[in-house]
Amino acid sequence: MPAKFDLNDSSVVVIIGSGAGGGTLANELARKGISSVVLEAGKRIEITDFKNDEDGMFGLFTWLDPRTTSGSWYVAKTSPDLPVWICKLVGGTTIHWGACALRFQEHEFKPRTRYGAIAGANLLDWPIDLKEMEPYYDRAELKMGVTGTHGIPLLPASSHGKVLFAGAKKMGYTKFQTTNMAINSVPRDGRASCQQTGFCVQGCTFGAKWSTLYTEIPAAEATGKTEIRPESQVLHIEHDASGKVTGVVYADSKGALQRQKARIVAVAGNSIESPRLLLNSSSSKFPQGLANSSGQVGKNYMRHMTSTVFAIFDKPVHMYRGTAQSGIVMDEARLDTKRGFVGGYQMELLPQGLPSFAQNIVPGAWGRDRASIIDSYANIAGVWLIGEDLPRETNRITLHPQRKDKFGLPIPNVHSDDHPNDLAMQKHAFAQADALYTSIGAKRTVHRLPFPSTHNMGTNRMSEKPQDGVVNRYGQSHDIKNLFVSDGSQFTSSGGENPTLTIVALAIRQAEYIADQMAHSAI
Amino acid sequence: MRLLNWTRRFSRRGFLAGGAATIAAVAATGGTVLADSQAGSLAEAGRLTSEELRALLKFTCDLFPHDRLDDSFYARAIAPLQDEAAKDAPTRRLLAGGVAQLDRLAMAASGKPFADVADEKTRVAVIKQIDGSAFFTKVYGDAIVGLYNQPEVWPKFGYEGPSSALGGYLHRGFSDIDWL
Repeated sequence: MPAKFDLNDSSVVVIIGSGAGGGTLANELARKGISSVVLEAGKRIEITDFKNDEDGMFGLFTWLDPRTTSGSWYVAKTSPDLPVWICKLVGGTTIHWGACALRFQEHEFKPRTRYGAIAGANLLDWPIDLKEMEPYYDRAELKMGVTGTHGIPLLPASSHGKVLFAGAKKMGYTKFQTTNMAINSVPRDGRASCQQTGFCVQGCTFGAKWSTLYTEIPAAEATGKTEIRPESQVLHIEHDASGKVTGVVYADSKGALQRQKARIVAVAGNSIESPRLLLNSSSSKFPQGLANSSGQVGKNYMRHMTSTVFAIFDKPVHMYRGTAQSGIVMDEARLDTKRGFVGGYQMELLPQGLPSFAQNIVPGAWGRDRASIIDSYANIAGVWLIGEDLPRETNRITLHPQRKDKFGLPIPNVHSDDHPNDLAMQKHAFAQADALYTSIGAKRTVHRLPFPSTHNMGTNRMSEKPQDGVVNRYGQSHDIKNLFVSDGSQFTSSGGENPTLTIVALAIRQAEYIADQMAHSAI
Repeated sequence: MRLLNWTRRFSRRGFLAGGAATIAAVAATGGTVLADSQAGSLAEAGRLTSEELRALLKFTCDLFPHDRLDDSFYARAIAPLQDEAAKDAPTRRLLAGGVAQLDRLAMAASGKPFADVADEKTRVAVIKQIDGSAFFTKVYGDAIVGLYNQPEVWPKFGYEGPSSALGGYLHRGFSDIDWL
């Protein structure tokens, strides 16, 4: 049964956030007998609260606290108040994620070495490599039930997927299949298999998609070692005179301030809130914010090169039928600088329901041409182009100089400018996707520049040397030994793959390290 | 390939959170073009005048012109704007001011108020002159949500909406494409 810990219990690990990083870390620690309190800013809902309703679920689970944007990126123009689309609920963004579960490639852990110095980019190698990560990827895939790994069958292809694959074949591509998905293709782990509802990103009503809400979190609670406190938004991390963190101050569901003591604090609030919290926790000892002697907290914000191509055919596709993102072409994910850019990109299915599609296809457009695209809705196929974007110090999360949230704390500003490499990759990806769909008869393609970011990485990055980043190879702060970062903000580079599998693998690995360090009384 | 019944009839189940009078007025049209008298009834209780409403409806149709949708869908899409105008003076002023500007520009272009300009190209040319204004942005942002979120609209575009209660598409043609 769920544990209940006293606010003054200083033996617990406090985990901030309950998504892919925080939820997994809590369960992994619990397996090792380590107690934790998970403070989640959002509410706790259950699968029965999920609805096949795009706008309704958006309103229910999206983190809508005020944020601002700046920079030349498209999202700052089209969605200035909502730069990212991530969730505020127990389970975090694992409720919303599309469930593509891909490993990083070998070269993507070593971008500085493999890509060389690139002007305007703050490239750095990860302190870890693929070989070191492989056993943790294995464990993450088994935990999440990733199709196409460890003998778990792939999902069947939808009509939408078959369109993508037919085009890929015409293009001479060879690496296409239904994607490695953390969605049950057969009943597994007490959860049903995929029923092809098409509403993966509104929350899987059958629980076939892995989400910490109904996997890691109840499993952790069942050990009696974990307490989940919903509607508990952490405002500050506190430390003692020696610099060790001692606990956190949070606002509970009634807005009252509480202080939870801790032996260790692990920050897993996604790549906007995590650096914001460290910056908002500045003190006389750490005037730049916690864990920020390098000055890198909040910097190197990455969000992937993302764009979408929608192709209009003469005949029906019904893209909304079936597992949303199950279909991938991986041929362009390779490193091949002859294409005019470093890094690579994946081509992944991206269907949308009519309400989302119609509201977002051409922001601000009106009239007959736009309407003709919507009129073709049933005959449209969509592919998301997602590739590695480069870290830049100037792409960063900062505290807004004036605007405050309801707790009186500065809200975050998200600044991003596209690097020329990102734009070169985007141009290539648009051309390839156009050619792919045109090869099988598309009569028109429509390019959609990025939606609010769902992949958010890099704002507390991992580094070998303390001066280059915020955390070490285990996500442990260089500056403060009992302060960890457990989400995608640890990423040193973005890779060309969806980040969640890597976040989970890192959390499994981090739990081992924390247990070892605690056993040796090192923290 | 399993195809949809494109002629599914307009359902009258209430979707909007708008005022009961509005829904009744929309339902009363039975899916046909709003007559002036009915548009006028929408304006009672001190809301937008019938002339203003008529222009607003025409403007919304021109923003999102789908020949397969009759005016009742557009009337529903803008009903929340009317409710907001009834409660909020700045919104009322914004909408009335925007309509007045449309009418002024239409008069200059063709000698008729906006809603009476029969030629679509002329109306489009008028709208281009106010693209990006506060009025345009407000109506665009609200109507685009109000229009495409109507479940009654979805089958007109071949979209089936919620699927979980029907068991998803696993046994309902998720992979039955037959033209590749």
